[in-house]
Amino acid sequence: MGCESCSGGSCDRDKTGLPPGMLSEYNLNQSPAEGSLVWIEVINDGNTIMMNDSSKEILGKLQEISDGRIFGVIFGDTELKVLYGEIFSYGVDTLYHIKDKKMIQFQPEVYCEMLVDLCNRVMPAVVLMGATPRGRELAPRLAASLGTGLTADCTELKMDGRFLQMTRPAFGGNIIATISCDHFPQMATVRPGTFPMPEPMIGREGTVIYRQYYGSNYKNIISSERIISVDYDITRAKILISLGNGIKEKESVAVAESIAKKLGGMVSCSRALVERGWFPQSRQVGQSGNNVFPDIYMAFGISGSIQHKAGIGPAKRVIAVNIDPEAPIHEIADISVIGNADSILKEMNKLL
Amino acid sequence: MKYVILVKQVPDTTRIKVDENGNLIRQGVPSILDPYCEYALDMVCRIRKPEDSVIVVSMGPPQAKESIFRCLELGANEAYLLSDKAFAGADVFATSRTLTAFIRKFAADYDLIFCGKQAADGDTAEVPAETAAMLNVQQFCYSENIIISDTIKVTQNYNDEIRVCTVPKGSVLSVSIGDINRRVPSISDHIKALNIEIKTLDRIALGLGMYSVGIKGSKTKIESSYSPRYEHSGKIIDGTDPSEAAKLLIKEVL
Ligand SMILES: Cc1cc2nc3c(=O)[nH]c(=O)nc-3n(C[C@H](O)[C@H](O)[C@H](O)COP(=O)(O)OP(=O)(O)OC[C@H]3O[C@@H](n4cnc5c(N)ncnc54)[C@H](O)[C@@H]3O)c2cc1C
Ligand SMILES: Nc1ncnc2c1ncn2[C@@H]1O[C@H](COP(=O)(O)O)[C@@H](O)[C@H]1O
Repeated sequence: MGCESCSGGSCDRDKTGLPPGMLSEYNLNQSPAEGSLVWIEVINDGNTIMMNDSSKEILGKLQEISDGRIFGVIFGDTELKVLYGEIFSYGVDTLYHIKDKKMIQFQPEVYCEMLVDLCNRVMPAVVLMGATPRGRELAPRLAASLGTGLTADCTELKMDGRFLQMTRPAFGGNIIATISCDHFPQMATVRPGTFPMPEPMIGREGTVIYRQYYGSNYKNIISSERIISVDYDITRAKILISLGNGIKEKESVAVAESIAKKLGGMVSCSRALVERGWFPQSRQVGQSGNNVFPDIYMAFGISGSIQHKAGIGPAKRVIAVNIDPEAPIHEIADISVIGNADSILKEMNKLL
Repeated sequence: MKYVILVKQVPDTTRIKVDENGNLIRQGVPSILDPYCEYALDMVCRIRKPEDSVIVVSMGPPQAKESIFRCLELGANEAYLLSDKAFAGADVFATSRTLTAFIRKFAADYDLIFCGKQAADGDTAEVPAETAAMLNVQQFCYSENIIISDTIKVTQNYNDEIRVCTVPKGSVLSVSIGDINRRVPSISDHIKALNIEIKTLDRIALGLGMYSVGIKGSKTKIESSYSPRYEHSGKIIDGTDPSEAAKLLIKEVL
């Protein structure tokens, strides 16, 4: 009778060393974290309210790689109700709606406080958001507040059980690193446009849970103005005609706009032409401009600096027109035309 | 006012080339002050009053002094280098923790902290917000313009939205845009900089434990890395005749 580890006669432990009725030992050091939490970014320009595409892409990827529950979080007031159905159709099981008028505007400090609170309740193994300007501002604040790691701007995610492998490019895509995190939740931001847009499962249902914020850590936002009209957002273009320093004639801008129109695309540029004052910054592609995700990216007179290439990583095909056969842009081009950008643009416009 | 600017030395990514195997050729690539940090410093130097103090701090190897020196030439009047073998291999969390420890101990009475939007080498853009979270202060990323009068106002650019906010003292700002006509340092700036000591602080001076810094204090681990070879078909077309080239291109696009 009794276990061997003690000599007292009153010990009621059996040979397994466990108290009666206990079948196996609980591993008290193991974290109970499981499932994934996704911040669903909402675009709200006063007229239309929609889910950001990058949130859909993340949800699609999670369905493919994860077997756990998917939790979603949205911030805003009753106007977000119209999105519930759509959010569930992309695979969210439980949606936390942090309801507050003031949260319609992006408030990183308050969002973060609420997310910390949610992570403590839900204990997700993974927290993901889009590597959009707002996602990239919110995620590090949350990671530091939770005392966990963060991998920014991932282009690939793999999951083994609840463990995540995150892959991201650095040096403008010249190095690709795979990163793991030894803490829960494992956090990553995901580069928009890298994962395919999933098909919604129409009619799929889920649970909505409301939460409220009682703190007062709001930012004082004096004014806010939307600068990208939804109809000229180069990040949504399928075909981009992009112009760089190799463009010598101002007229080529109008020519490019005309070609883009005929092809159903848009015109973007390198930083060189923003500095020349030929384009607003909203048209700039690259590290200090926009990441773009077109099917076809046509670079006219763009050398292909690391900073520029950082923005076109996800492009499906790259076509480069450059007078210099040694220009670095050719390293990533599917088709390289060695020739004069201005005159080729002109001819293309004539032929279309 | 007391401004703290977090600065980083990076390889000059505009000069990095790739060899035929897709590997980075780092040899001969100079290290520079990260451009976005320079933008941040320039912004501070334009708004500062003569009596204000401008402190730059960098965590990095001893060579980072070169970049710190450049900051002094550009107008900073106090400089610290956080350097220790134990700091090597730090991820964002460990970096932010080290920088936060410095601020708490050596610059607790600061008014504003400025950072670059992102460092040109890793493109992570995480340190500003992590530092703000650790200090429990507000953060203003993508700042383009700042106006200081009785209140402080900043303009932030989210690519699809421009907004103006009031900035409480103690906040962290990250700067995303530089003035192309930035001032370049003169000879007298150089001489002034020579007279300012760059103070070096190690782990012990910052009061940090072994497991708070460097690779041991990091939450993430690099499992593997490689240089990708692009698998594009890479067809080359002679474009000497523009109309022929145009025809071919149109065929490709349609
Ligand atoms: C911190 C930082 C951030 C940056 N962010 C960005 C960014 O977001 N986006 C960006 O684009 N840049 C960015 N840059 C700038 C970047 O380093 C390059 O300077 C810039 O991309 C160059 O633009 P470009 O290729 O148009 O010009 P250039 O490098 O001058 O290239 C012009 C090309 O045109 C070719 N050419 C010349 N004449 C002709 C002709 N007649 N026909 C055809 N081709 C011709 C030349 O061979 C050359 O390859 C950044 C730089 C820094 C330091
Ligand atoms: N080692 C460092 N020392 C000081 N400041 C840093 C360091 N790393 C990053 N920063 C600051 O954080 C900004 C963003 O860097 P990162 O998060 O590394 O992309 C930089 O522009 C710096 O202002």
